[in-house]
Amino acid sequence: MVNVGGIKLGGQPGENATVLCGTIFYQGHKIVQDEEQGAFDRAAAERLIARQAELSEETGTPAVLHLYARTIEALERYLAFADLTWAGPIIVDSADAAVRAGAAALVSELGYADKTIYNSISVATSRMEAQAIKESEVDSAILLAYNPTDCRVDGMLQVLEGGAAMAEKGLIPLAEDLGITNKLIDPGVVPMGSGAGASLRFSTVAKAKLALPVGSGIHNAVSAWPWLRQKDKATKKCCDGAASAMQILAAGDFLLYGPIENAEFIFPAAAMADILVAEAVRDLDNEPAANHPIHRLV
Amino acid sequence: MTEECSSQRKCFEESWPPVRGEYVVGDPNARVAVVTLASQLHVRGSAISGPCKTENLGVEKIVANVVSNCNIRFILLCGAESKGHLPGNTLLALHRNGIDEQGRIVGSKGAIPFIQNLAPDAILRFQEQVQLIDFIGLEDEAKIAELVEIYNSRAEPYPREPFQVVKKKSTAKVISAGEGDLLLGSGVVMNTATWLVQAEVVVEC
Repeated sequence: MVNVGGIKLGGQPGENATVLCGTIFYQGHKIVQDEEQGAFDRAAAERLIARQAELSEETGTPAVLHLYARTIEALERYLAFADLTWAGPIIVDSADAAVRAGAAALVSELGYADKTIYNSISVATSRMEAQAIKESEVDSAILLAYNPTDCRVDGMLQVLEGGAAMAEKGLIPLAEDLGITNKLIDPGVVPMGSGAGASLRFSTVAKAKLALPVGSGIHNAVSAWPWLRQKDKATKKCCDGAASAMQILAAGDFLLYGPIENAEFIFPAAAMADILVAEAVRDLDNEPAANHPIHRLV
Repeated sequence: MTEECSSQRKCFEESWPPVRGEYVVGDPNARVAVVTLASQLHVRGSAISGPCKTENLGVEKIVANVVSNCNIRFILLCGAESKGHLPGNTLLALHRNGIDEQGRIVGSKGAIPFIQNLAPDAILRFQEQVQLIDFIGLEDEAKIAELVEIYNSRAEPYPREPFQVVKKKSTAKVISAGEGDLLLGSGVVMNTATWLVQAEVVVEC
């Protein structure tokens, strides 16, 4: 089990509620007016963040704010805003390695490192990015176990432990070298048809073998499903909620649930799954934590 | 006018395209396939068109669907590049340089540019069959339609049979789950490696 900014991730199934991470300022987010400069609709952002906090409080499901930034200038503005509106842990993320590297330095400089989760360390992590993480005060990171040459369960494990041909060392020893003590494991969900289901089996295997918290962005499998795009919103939400619950049943400790707008239906789905898991293991001496949804909603 | 495939030689199977994805099939007899990268664009006149946001699985799907139709001789790359992933840059690198022994696309600047599901001969065929037309960044639909029309009249079908990409099958390895199996109570355990639920074996001494 690890503790990031006061939130516990991991433990036995049924013990801690699944940590839900909603993304804001993502690519194409309508509230972002200028993704280079980080200009956005502050009132809309505040409403979204407040709603995630309310649902977290109501359900007993811990939450993390996942900040996506195109540039370091944008991230600086997002972090300043998050400091005013969000009390919990944050994830810093970008598609650009230079921005991620800059983010590690920035959160250290601003004093946010102890509540920051770096997303992510992967086979694509360059020496430059690794050095930036090492020189920062960040000690929590998501390790992306995506193996581009073998997306089966054993291929993902190889990426983490070492032995995958495309990397000098496994992501776990690499993360430890870089000062990461809180290691969160994410299989890197691929589209359905390309092996998305392996992520679920990987979750139980990785949690059992490595004794580290596991989770995923299984939402990506749902959003990348062309067939579903033709369906109405209710159908899409139903699939998103079901996929989230499946990840939780497959030993998930955290969920990158996608756009923060989805909090409205993901929090109830996740709380329901957490309650069912807790009830399933009740006679195995896995005591739910004090703030678990089972104590609040049933 | 360009030459159509003769009745003796099929340029594509009826089930073309073989790999599903986020694309629109136009005229399978056209010479141009259009990759709109991270942009959602309406494309007229092409054999197939659609976005590509990843530098590994997305690129593989394009190769599989292109080499299985001999009519396609050009791939028009347009639309906004997908940040970080750089599938446009990766397609150009794959076409120019191919892959190394690990499956890494040589010269790609994308984040994780690896080919997993294509045999080397599929990539060779891709390099031989099509020419890439680099208009990365172009989002003007009228200009794209104009380019499609120009290139649709510039070549004959590739003079070989359609190439069918068969997914490589690899042998499964048995993962040792060690002591981490899930205990479900009542003498039942779940092997986390195989997801098999089974009764505990009690050894009597």
